[in-house]
Order: sequence, then structure tokens, then C-alpha cells
Amino acid sequence: MLATNAEPFLKIGLNHYLFLSAILFSFGMIAVLMRKNVIVMLMGVELMLNAVNLSFIAFAKELGNLNGQIMVFFVMTIAAAEAGVGLALAVAIYKKYKDLNIRAFEQLRG
Amino acid sequence: MGSDVFEITVNFVKMVAIFLMMVQLVPLLVWVERRGSAYIQNRFGPNRVGPLGLTQLLADAVKFITKEEFSPAAGHWFLFYAAPVIALIPATLAFGAIPLSAPINVGSFEMLGHTWGPYIFKFQSFDMGSIGIVFVLAVSSLAAYSLLLAGYGSANKYALYGALRASAQTISYELAMGLSLVGILLLFNTFSFSEIVAVQNGPLSFYFFGQVVTFSGIPNWGIFYQPLGALILMAAMFAETNRLPFDLPEAEGELVAGYHTEYGGIKMNMFYIGEYGHMLVASGLMVTFFFGGYTLYPLLTPDTVAAWFAKLGGTEASILTALVLHVVFLAKVLFFLWLFIWVRWTLPRFRYDQLMDLGWKTMLPWALGNTIITALVIFVMRTKW
Amino acid sequence: MLMEAIGFYAMAMFLVFFAFKTISDPNPIHCALYLSLTMIGLAGVFYQLDAQFIAGVQMIVYAGAVMVLFVMVLMLFDLKTELRAFSRGLLSGFLKIFSAAILAGFALGAATNSIGIVDEQPPKVMSANITRDLSILLYTKYLYAFEALGILLLVVAVGAVAVSRIKGGSHARD
Repeated sequence: MLATNAEPFLKIGLNHYLFLSAILFSFGMIAVLMRKNVIVMLMGVELMLNAVNLSFIAFAKELGNLNGQIMVFFVMTIAAAEAGVGLALAVAIYKKYKDLNIRAFEQLRG
Repeated sequence: MGSDVFEITVNFVKMVAIFLMMVQLVPLLVWVERRGSAYIQNRFGPNRVGPLGLTQLLADAVKFITKEEFSPAAGHWFLFYAAPVIALIPATLAFGAIPLSAPINVGSFEMLGHTWGPYIFKFQSFDMGSIGIVFVLAVSSLAAYSLLLAGYGSANKYALYGALRASAQTISYELAMGLSLVGILLLFNTFSFSEIVAVQNGPLSFYFFGQVVTFSGIPNWGIFYQPLGALILMAAMFAETNRLPFDLPEAEGELVAGYHTEYGGIKMNMFYIGEYGHMLVASGLMVTFFFGGYTLYPLLTPDTVAAWFAKLGGTEASILTALVLHVVFLAKVLFFLWLFIWVRWTLPRFRYDQLMDLGWKTMLPWALGNTIITALVIFVMRTKW
Repeated sequence: MLMEAIGFYAMAMFLVFFAFKTISDPNPIHCALYLSLTMIGLAGVFYQLDAQFIAGVQMIVYAGAVMVLFVMVLMLFDLKTELRAFSRGLLSGFLKIFSAAILAGFALGAATNSIGIVDEQPPKVMSANITRDLSILLYTKYLYAFEALGILLLVVAVGAVAVSRIKGGSHARD
């Protein structure tokens, strides 16, 4: 009943998850390149890290190897720590420049 | 969900029934709170509507539903309406993962000319296997969103401050809550709720410098091993559910009812249902980890209760066993709910800086110390000397 | 097979839609809330991929703590909706999107071609008690990395407090 050339779409394999991960990664990269609010750029970085986590887990499932999941554990911890520091810096920036637009402080001075 | 139509249907009905059970316990709890607090404060509570005031909540529900529906003009309407709904979701999901009674074994039977095979139905909405406690912590941490969305969608400075304070308090006490459970996980060696209850279903037995010591009359409850962990979990649960003595975010007179200032009618009531649902989850967790879950060794375990109904045989015996053990579970949970209500009407409220100091500077170090000492004691006691 | 495919495509559409709304909404608080939904969706995908423990940890760490922190910090600022949330210039915008697309193409092409080299593997069964197996790996083979991670978290915690005390920070000493 289903055409045989629908098989690549119906049998979910590694490539499907990698495609999803690549799309999410490029969305994150677009957010970092195109948005001007510092915190939204940080969110783009978080999205990129999550896309990488997804590809690690997909490989771990494909190869039956738990090391991929351990790597995700470490990436998640470090990304959370970096988000905390990034937000502390963003708060300090806001106090000084009263504005979160990166155009306000993209010139090095002195 | 199940392998054939009968099993899927029964599991679905079971999920809905457990959700309804949680929601229907809330009016009963509110009645207990109003009459109980009145008893503590030496006055009558509601005693006019229905016998002993039991249908007061029904009247209140009708009142709430028929109130005027308003929302602030300047706020963000989607977030404003989403916040009470999001308040209910974590409590519902977490309550579904806690085992409420022993599994029911249904033998083969004939119906509609087809033989339906033997099934095992667990007495919980879904069994999260080897990640039980991680799932409950994960959905409890989503409770902070309803506070933030309520405060932001209200377009009211005081509501926003209340929401920020409440969510800061919530995420601070999540740490102490998670750490206080690590001692129990180290001792019982598993993350799964069913296995934790099964381990507590025996006599008190522990290693003592390499030998196993057993006391046969006393059950193997977690409270005997980890009293400090139980105390920290209880205190952290008070803070998670925003109950007194940690309820500064919703205190009148401090912040004009905090994050739910701009809510009225049924939306406000949904916040309270969410709060009582969280109380139910907290009591369920305390009972499962520290007080033996649905068993009471040596009197009321799945084996001894099944022996009472051995004459009936098969499916009926299993169902009756599960019901009796469910009554045991409910009795323990009701004791803890009464404890929540009792503490609320006894202790005064913490100031906000005292509250945050308590969470970070007192509970977190004690919970960490508890973990380290538990690990050391296990190591010393389980090596063969 | 059909049910798995439907489940995967539903989760994938959910994720891609909310990730797109994250990067394209002018109001930063909405971006943060959409990102939380993306994180929850990712936890669902991890659960489908037999990584149940990592799914739980993703919800606790990302959706429950990191994104709550983002939303709290954004609510403290009085940000008007940015009139020009995106960078100006049509050509530079096009170049940026094009470069992101080329990167995605490279990544996907490399992965697809390298997987084709190895023969088709039978579907692997992940362990039954995933927590036990992950913890055995974490505490024996990766113990050094685990301890280094603990020290890194301590340094980050102290550093975040120190950043808030610099001149102009929220808890500045003068």
C-alpha cells in the first residue's frame, strides 16, 4: 500500500536525528549572528549546545555505546555553568550601559 | 501503555482516575484545613453548609466559577491565562509516578468470546522504571514557571516582585530537596520507586562492621537510617509548595498577595489546587522514601494481606489486597498532610532574607554533610573487617 | 514503524517550530519561554532515543534551572520590545543565513557519508537499568573528568558572585 520509496522517510534512523540536530544548530548560529540583544545571543549558544547533545545521544543509540550519554552529561553541566556566568556578565553590562544592545559596546575604547 | 485493547483501555482509565483522585482530595483537604485550623485557633470553622460543613467547598466552587472573569488590560493575556494551568501540570505528572499500592495481577478470563491473557496492572499512572526520582524532581522544577508567568502577565510591579521572590525561593530549595534524597539512594541502591518500597518491606537489617544485623520486629523504613534527610526533605517541601512558614511570596500585607494579586475566580482557585496537589506529592514522596510506602511490615505487607484473601483466589484477591494496602498508603499520606496543615497554623512566617539564608547557608550544608557522612558510614560498615 | 515515524515527525516539527520562534520573536522574554519549550521537547526526543536518565537531567538542569534563570534575569530588566531586533542590511543578513546553511550542509553531508561507510548495524538494545550503567561508567572510567567538573562548578559559582561585585555590578561594594 505504501510506496516502497517512502521507506527512507518512514524508517527512522540515525540520519533523521542528525538532520534535526543540524537544523537546530543552524538556528542557534543564526540567532548568534543576527540578533542584537546579548541575552538572545546567549540563548542561541544554548540552542547550539543542545543540538550537539542531540547528535551525541543519536550516535550513542546507533552504536549501542553509553559513552555518548556521558559526554552529554558533561556538555550539559558546562553549558549550564557558562549560562550562569554569561547572565552575571549581562547584568553587569546592563548596569553600566543601560542597554542590552551589543552595538552599544562593540567598539573597544582607549 | 499495553499490548492489547483491554490493557490500553484499563491503563487509560486508570490514569484519568488517579488524576481525578488527586483533584477530588483537594476539597477534602481544604475542609480539613479550615476545620483543623479553627480547632487549633479555638473557634468554629465552617459548620453550616451540609453536615459538619463538608459541602462548604462545593458552595465555594460554585461561587468561584460564577464570578466575573477579568484580566488586566495591559498584561500579556496568553501568559496570564496559561499560568494557572501550568500550576497544575507538575503536581499531576509527579503524582502519577508514585506507587499508590501493590500491583494487581489479573488472571486470564473470558469476555466477548475472546480470551484476555494475564495482566499486571501497576497501581500508578505510569511506571518510570529506573529513573523514578529523577522524573519527579524534573517535573517539580517546572513549578517555577507558573509563578513567573503569573507575575509577568499581570503587568503589576508588586506581582512581578512577588513572582521573582517566589521563583528564587523555589529554585533555591530544589537543591536541598534533591540532596536530601541522595542518602536514601545510597542506602537502598536504586532510583526506582517500586524497588524502594520493596526494600522497605522487610525487617530492619543493616551492615555493622561487616556483619548483617537484623531486628525482626521493626520494618526497614528509611526514617531509621536517615532522620536528618527526612527532616531536610520535609522543610524543603514546605518551601517548594510555598506553605507557611515559607509563604512570603503569597502573604497578604507584605506584597498584596504576591504573584496572584491580579487573579480572581476560578483562576485563583486553580493556583490553590496546584498548591494542594504539590502538598500531596510531597507527602507521597515522604511516605515512599522514609515510611515504607504502601507496606507496613510485619503486619500489612503484600504477602500477609494476600493470605487473608487466599480463599477468593486469583483476580479478586489481588484487587482486594491492593485496596487494603492503598488504605494503608492513604492513612500515612493523610498524617503528613495534617502535619503540613498543623505547621502552617503554628509557626510564624520567615522574612525573605531569613528564608534565603536558611536555604543556602543552613539546609544545603547540612544536606551535603548528611550525604558525605552516609557515604562514609556505608563504606566503613560494609567492608569486611 | 509507522507509529515511531509519526512520533518522531511530530516531535521534530514541535522542536523546529519553537526553535524558529525563539530566534525570530522581537520580545526577549518570549524568546526565553519558547526556548524552554524547545528544551522540554528535546527531553522528549532523548526519551525516545532510550536515554531516559539524560532526559530527566535535561529537564532538571535546562528547563528547570537555566531557563528559569534566563526568564528571571529578563524580567528584572525593563526592556521595551526592540524595534529593530535583527541586524540591519539585507546583504549582511543574507550572508549570515547562507553561512549557517552551508555549515549545516557540511555537517549533515559529512555525517551521512561517514555512516554509509560502515555496514548497516542491527538495532542495538540499550541497557535495562540505564542509571546503574551510566553511573558505573561515570564513577570508574570518567572519574577524573567528573571531579574536574566539580571543581569547575565551584570556580564558576565563586566567579559569578565576584562578577556581580565589580564596579557597576548589582552588588557593587561602593
